[in-house]
Amino acid sequence: MWNYVLRRLLGLVPVLFGITLLVFLFLQLIPGDPAQAILGERGTPEQLAALREKLGLNKPLYVQYLTFVKNILTGDLGTSAVSTIPVAEELKRRWPATFELALAATLVAVVLGIPVGILAAVRKNSLVDTLSMSLSLVGVSMPVFWLGLLLVYLFAVNLHWLPTGGRLSTDLAIDFRPISGFLILDGILALKPQVLADALRHLILPALTLGTIPLAILTRITRSAMLEVLSQDYVRTARAKGLGERQVILKHALKNALLPVVTIVGLQFGTLLGGAILTETIFSWPGIGSYIYEGILNRDYPVVQAGVLVVATVFVLVNLLVDLSYALLDPRIQYR
Amino acid sequence: MKRKILLGLVVALGLGLAQKTLVFGSNGEPVSLEPGNITDGISIYVQRQIYDTLVDFKPGSTEVTAGLATSWFSSPDGKVWTFRLRQGVKFQDGTELDAEAVKFNIERWWDPKNPTRIDAAARYEIWPELFGGFKGDPGSILKEIQVVDKYTVRFILNQPFPAFPAAIGSGYFGIASPAAIKKDGAKYGSPTGSAVGTGPFRLVEWRPGEQVVLEKNPTYWKKGFPKVDRVVFRVIKDPAARLAALKAGTIDFTTDIPPANLKDLEADRNLDAVFRPSFNVGYLALNPSHKPLADPRVRQAIAMAVNKKAIVQAFWGKLGLTDGHFTPPSMKAFQSPKVTDHEFNPQKAKALLAEAGYPNGFDLELWYMPVSRPYFPTPKEIAEAMAADLSAIGIRVKLQTKDWASYLADRKKAPGFQAYMLGWTGDYGDPQNFYDPHFACPIADLFDGTGKPLCVKELGDILTKAATTPNLEERKRLYQQADELTFSLALRIPIVHSQPLLAKRKNITGWVPSPLGSESFETIEKR
Repeated sequence: MWNYVLRRLLGLVPVLFGITLLVFLFLQLIPGDPAQAILGERGTPEQLAALREKLGLNKPLYVQYLTFVKNILTGDLGTSAVSTIPVAEELKRRWPATFELALAATLVAVVLGIPVGILAAVRKNSLVDTLSMSLSLVGVSMPVFWLGLLLVYLFAVNLHWLPTGGRLSTDLAIDFRPISGFLILDGILALKPQVLADALRHLILPALTLGTIPLAILTRITRSAMLEVLSQDYVRTARAKGLGERQVILKHALKNALLPVVTIVGLQFGTLLGGAILTETIFSWPGIGSYIYEGILNRDYPVVQAGVLVVATVFVLVNLLVDLSYALLDPRIQYR
Repeated sequence: MKRKILLGLVVALGLGLAQKTLVFGSNGEPVSLEPGNITDGISIYVQRQIYDTLVDFKPGSTEVTAGLATSWFSSPDGKVWTFRLRQGVKFQDGTELDAEAVKFNIERWWDPKNPTRIDAAARYEIWPELFGGFKGDPGSILKEIQVVDKYTVRFILNQPFPAFPAAIGSGYFGIASPAAIKKDGAKYGSPTGSAVGTGPFRLVEWRPGEQVVLEKNPTYWKKGFPKVDRVVFRVIKDPAARLAALKAGTIDFTTDIPPANLKDLEADRNLDAVFRPSFNVGYLALNPSHKPLADPRVRQAIAMAVNKKAIVQAFWGKLGLTDGHFTPPSMKAFQSPKVTDHEFNPQKAKALLAEAGYPNGFDLELWYMPVSRPYFPTPKEIAEAMAADLSAIGIRVKLQTKDWASYLADRKKAPGFQAYMLGWTGDYGDPQNFYDPHFACPIADLFDGTGKPLCVKELGDILTKAATTPNLEERKRLYQQADELTFSLALRIPIVHSQPLLAKRKNITGWVPSPLGSESFETIEKR
């Protein structure tokens, strides 16, 4: 097993190199001079030259790439061309916000998706089944941006139940110093129930928005996995033994149906960490998604490169964890 | 239950103690809070609340008025400007504002070798843009800055610059505390450093991506101001989300609302639409390097064929106005009464084309911007409307665009674009800032047909003279001439002066938007 883990970890090295190369090349493919894009309508030739020099754009491509990789290896992700703040510092500061949001969205998907999926499978072709399958179809196809704004207008603007965006109300945010950056945790650590409550209220709409697509996917996957398991011989045997339906489903069937579900949860979580760009933008969520979005708008190369790189790395790592967790769930999977 | 009561108490207590906090919905993050080192509107907006400038502008106008300097005058030849400073003004760190402090700030912006500079490359770019270059550059307008006495500072210029007070008073050049800059070093003006001025509010905290918190400056020199205890800049980049936050009351006021939302704003009884006086121009540039456009009659024909009024009505409504002046309406004093606007007359335009030798029209590439700007919120649609008008007189328009960076760069490479849309928002209240970047000889982005940048000598001479004549009446006369000449040349046809749309909640009063793009929040009250 450890041998396998080690081998998988080593296998990451070429993958990560590939990512750096792709990230680097993709940005090169964007037409136009980034220095000109940053300076806008008024850049003079001297300013352009100075900025190009500063961004290293006047060096040959391979030199730029080597510098890029070398910097990454030394933990230097560059500084933002616009704000001159080190990108690594900014990513570190914003990371907890994205992680908290992705976790909450995953929770939404798991807590709602798995039970509904089971129910739909058990009551196949019933009203519950049809309804949940239609809804999940709507869920996958709904544009995130539109859904987010819809929720904001309904629950924040019209009903005034929830805030429109941000992580904390203005007044609370002025006085409260985050400890870990995970505000839910910080509210508890600092013994500030009002911070905890406020942070939770701010988390609801973005988590629902971000969680909708994984929720829909998870519902469908759970349903089909359950359906397959329920048709297996051992389920029939369990029923024949005289076990109650509840026990058959929850103890025998579910445990085996969980394998693909776990894979999907892992994959979705990885996607959420990086894919939160739109949700974070709508809800002014100060995470890495909105940071990358801003970097793209400003053509801020160091920000986009480092941002995408970090997200891709996390995605690869989460995938690895999912693979490894197979062993714990299914002893039939062997590591050689 | 007990816990619930406790929670309620805590919340109630929090509300009871709440100070008057003004929440501004910012459409982005400030780049830096260090004066002279930024050009973006958001940074200027925040800086305006922390710093004062040497001269200020009358609320809602571009007219200069006393700021940190109470009076100023120039030598008869216009080359020496003397500023007398307000006495007893303290920076927010307790140090005093004096002539040495002003000199410190100016030298930092002007001198690339200044040891207190954070970043030698590609920054402090606005100084050379407005003042001809850094210290040591051949074009540098500033020759020397002198401390005359504790409260008098003198600028020695290489050439007369009548617009100097307006330029040095622009929002880029807030006067910062030298002590704070020396103490903070490279961190000054960044989220982890300080930002210390003499303005109505002082910086408490800047949390990137989230908010900038300012509080009332207790030692502010203007008695009775500001009217609120705190200002919070909350970063909400998406316009739709910002409007939602305004409707929900999360923010009190905001800028940069898309023009299409005007109706929605007016329909909401909790909100007011607020118009910022126009300080921009959106224009159609015609490049004489494309042969038909070299003939002024053809350019006139195009100006006559485009139904500007209908276009402005359709795309801006109440938010735009159109006339023949290249400068916005706030510069009325420098505009010629003879210039009204090009008459919309397709028949006459067609006749002019025929006269110029193009009875069957010609092919024209019209470039529209790939991005939205205040002066052209929907460039493609506007270009389509213009193309339709031009086709009515036989000009066959091919619409073109490319990515923004290439668009900006390629228009300046010979032979340039045949016809293109672009615009300008002014930095300070002087026509020089509108005319010189576009018409000073040679014109960098229009070409004469031989691959050289176009030079309209007559206009260039007028502009050079206007920029250096100390006498205000004489300057007015010269800029009126420039107005008439640019109008008849029709190299750049002004399509619109647009008013940016802002919005506030009804309980906010005393907000007077400045045409220059940023105004002090000191007069704003919250009921």
